[in-house]
Amino acid sequence: MLHRLSFVPGRLLQSVPVAFGVTLLVFFLAHLLPGNAALALLGQRATPESVAALTEQLGLNKPLWEQYLLFLKQLGQGNLGTSLTYQSPVTGLVLGAIPVTLTLLAYALVLSLAISIPLSALASFRPGGGRDLGVRAFTLLGQGMPQFWVGIMLILLLAVGLRTFPVGGYGETAGEHLYFLFLPSLTLAIAMSPTIIRSLRSSMITVLESDYVGTAKSKGASGVSLLTGHVLRNAAIPTVSVIGVNLGYLVGGSLVIERVFALPGLGSLMINSIFTRDFPTVQGVTLFVALFVVVVGILTDVIYTILDPRVDLGRASSA
Amino acid sequence: MSRRVGAAATAIVTALALAGCSGGGTAAGGAGGATGAPVKGGTLTMARSADIISMDKTTTFDNNSIRVMEQIMEPLFHASPDGTKVEPWLATGYQASADGLTYTITLRDGITFSNGSPMTSADVKFSIDENTKTAETGWGFINSAIASVAATTPKTVTVTLKYAWAPLIADLALFANGIVPNNYGGKTSAQFYDAPVGTGPFVWGGWKKGQSVSVKANPTYWQAGKPHLDGVTWTVVADASTRKLQVQGGQVDIDDTPDWSSLASLKSASGVKAVTYPSTQIDYIAFNQKRAPFDDVHVRRAVSMVIDRDALVKAVLFGNGQPAYSLLSPGTPYFDKAAGGAKLDVAGAKAELAKSSKPNGFTTSLLIPSGNPNQASVAQIMQSELSAIGITMTIKPLDPTANKQARLASDFDMTTSAWTMDIPDPDEWTSFAVDPTGGSHSAFTYYNNQDVIAINKQAQKVNDPTKRQDLYSQLQKQVSQDAFLAYLYYSPYVYATTDKVEGFTVTPLGTYPLQDVYKTK
Repeated sequence: MLHRLSFVPGRLLQSVPVAFGVTLLVFFLAHLLPGNAALALLGQRATPESVAALTEQLGLNKPLWEQYLLFLKQLGQGNLGTSLTYQSPVTGLVLGAIPVTLTLLAYALVLSLAISIPLSALASFRPGGGRDLGVRAFTLLGQGMPQFWVGIMLILLLAVGLRTFPVGGYGETAGEHLYFLFLPSLTLAIAMSPTIIRSLRSSMITVLESDYVGTAKSKGASGVSLLTGHVLRNAAIPTVSVIGVNLGYLVGGSLVIERVFALPGLGSLMINSIFTRDFPTVQGVTLFVALFVVVVGILTDVIYTILDPRVDLGRASSA
Repeated sequence: MSRRVGAAATAIVTALALAGCSGGGTAAGGAGGATGAPVKGGTLTMARSADIISMDKTTTFDNNSIRVMEQIMEPLFHASPDGTKVEPWLATGYQASADGLTYTITLRDGITFSNGSPMTSADVKFSIDENTKTAETGWGFINSAIASVAATTPKTVTVTLKYAWAPLIADLALFANGIVPNNYGGKTSAQFYDAPVGTGPFVWGGWKKGQSVSVKANPTYWQAGKPHLDGVTWTVVADASTRKLQVQGGQVDIDDTPDWSSLASLKSASGVKAVTYPSTQIDYIAFNQKRAPFDDVHVRRAVSMVIDRDALVKAVLFGNGQPAYSLLSPGTPYFDKAAGGAKLDVAGAKAELAKSSKPNGFTTSLLIPSGNPNQASVAQIMQSELSAIGITMTIKPLDPTANKQARLASDFDMTTSAWTMDIPDPDEWTSFAVDPTGGSHSAFTYYNNQDVIAINKQAQKVNDPTKRQDLYSQLQKQVSQDAFLAYLYYSPYVYATTDKVEGFTVTPLGTYPLQDVYKTK
């Protein structure tokens, strides 16, 4: 088993140049934006003189390559630099925002599986039947509705109308986090589950028609035991890669959702830092997101390998 | 387990599909009137679009930060509730010498900092000097007339000026001149402002960056019996519709600056009050006189006269606000309502254009910040109005920081902009707007009228209110004639609160004294 995961260290090593390339790209793209942090900080009273003075004070008048080297040097010491807006370490800001976004993503994933697995099963047991049509209508709806609109509708219904859930915010304790994050996670889950359902439904149909499922059925397996014992694991394999790819997009989707639900996550941090030209923070967030996407890619392959003994990425990549 | 959750999720989704369109259910809530004595206790939560940046009162220009620091650190004087006068606060009064060069300020007795140490003249001297030092990149420019501050006796401070300077007391009312302990109580300024200490009604609570900032009641506040609240929390809620829904859902007590478009529905919602307060904000169009044809006063007048300000107030502010006809706003001292700013007069505009260097019209552009629906409406309305007199105007949206850079570099033909006052004295704005040596090339227009500059300088030196009124009236009339800006409208501040919030009020300078606020049960 373990030897089949031998591809992981190599892939982790590959992620270093990927992350490096992303920071390089983002650093120079960000500096193409006109204006700097001094302008953003000085407000309506900014004069050319005060902007020039603050620019120098913040070290923003140094050549770009020098600023980038400084960033790399600090990174080597495990330090993401100092936020120009807050004058405090970027590492602290990013570490504060990571739990919010990661919890949101994990929660959304759990909820979308909780929506997708039963619905896919419901649809696949009798393809073309009434239930299948219902599920397919839901996937169409789920994909067609814009995320921010779904979010606002959920707020109107469950938070303002019924007052069951809060209108945005993150809460203080772990229990509150789960409570506060329910609606935003559900919003993301509604957006993500149609893709999962489509993939899972079609692979479930294929698996259900296969001979070994016929054998299992003849031995008396049905319903949930058939599903969990014989169908799900094989049907899940293509869906795992669909989820892996979609998690990357989900990070992007969470930017909008964080705004609608007032969550202090990476998306909010990123947007504010771009508006205020707080480049060290932009760099820090980008670096983390890039690493996250790379790691999700590797994890997808790991799960794939575990689910399907025939897959051997170690041999494929070394061949 | 997952099956049950899935079923619940399916049920919610179905309910949503069924109820989706009927949304907007209004919350039940008692319509309450404010009667009786203030209620003690409770935490007030206010949702705002952005986080604070810093508590350093000398170098922070961000209003969200300033509104918080004002609850903790107080100045010697402060603006009256209507914004037009200066009242003693930590001081009891002052005496100016006959030549206007020396001010002797008496401090109030019995004031202590929240750390227990009494406030003395040494603290006052230190606090004002610290601000003066930041002239280059902070608020120190506001103290540029001050030669020195001396702690004459423990309860008296003497301020010596370089030249006669009428706005001094108003300048001392600025939060940046707020009083902090001498030598920051032995800390560095960075350490001190991480958890600032002052004499205010609230003490520093804590800050979760990107999420919330909070203050707690100061039990030893010098105004006995205040504050009524146990504490205040400001949360970061970037999205305006989320803020609106939070106040409707009772999750927050106050929504800072709801959208104009949502005001009518907030006003009719039960359990919510949406109130506007007069501000000092003036929105205007600046003409770049370095670029032809805006060096021509007839062109500037023509553009100013073709703008329908009533239509702007209706379309942009949804009727909440007034058309602007003066450089100063009604909430600013020495405002003159007979200032003669341009009014809608299309025939007059055509006549002015005929007299100008471009009698047949021209092509130009208007710089606006992107992502701001108000400015976009102004631009679109102006575009169609200008086309009526043969001026073709393109709209140039730039993201807010890039927009600011273009304005600072005077890289525009025309631009939208706005100003709000920080002190109850017109000089802060007039010197920025009409004096090319004020650092901003006359609000980046390169307007340069020697008569106006002389009047502005004279008004800085005269202490007599009647004489100052006369000077500022002259100034307002002359700049209207020169049409160096096209005034658009005065927009009020707007806040939505639940009907449990009592005593909340906003001054024209945008400050809100929270020591008077309480929440009914």
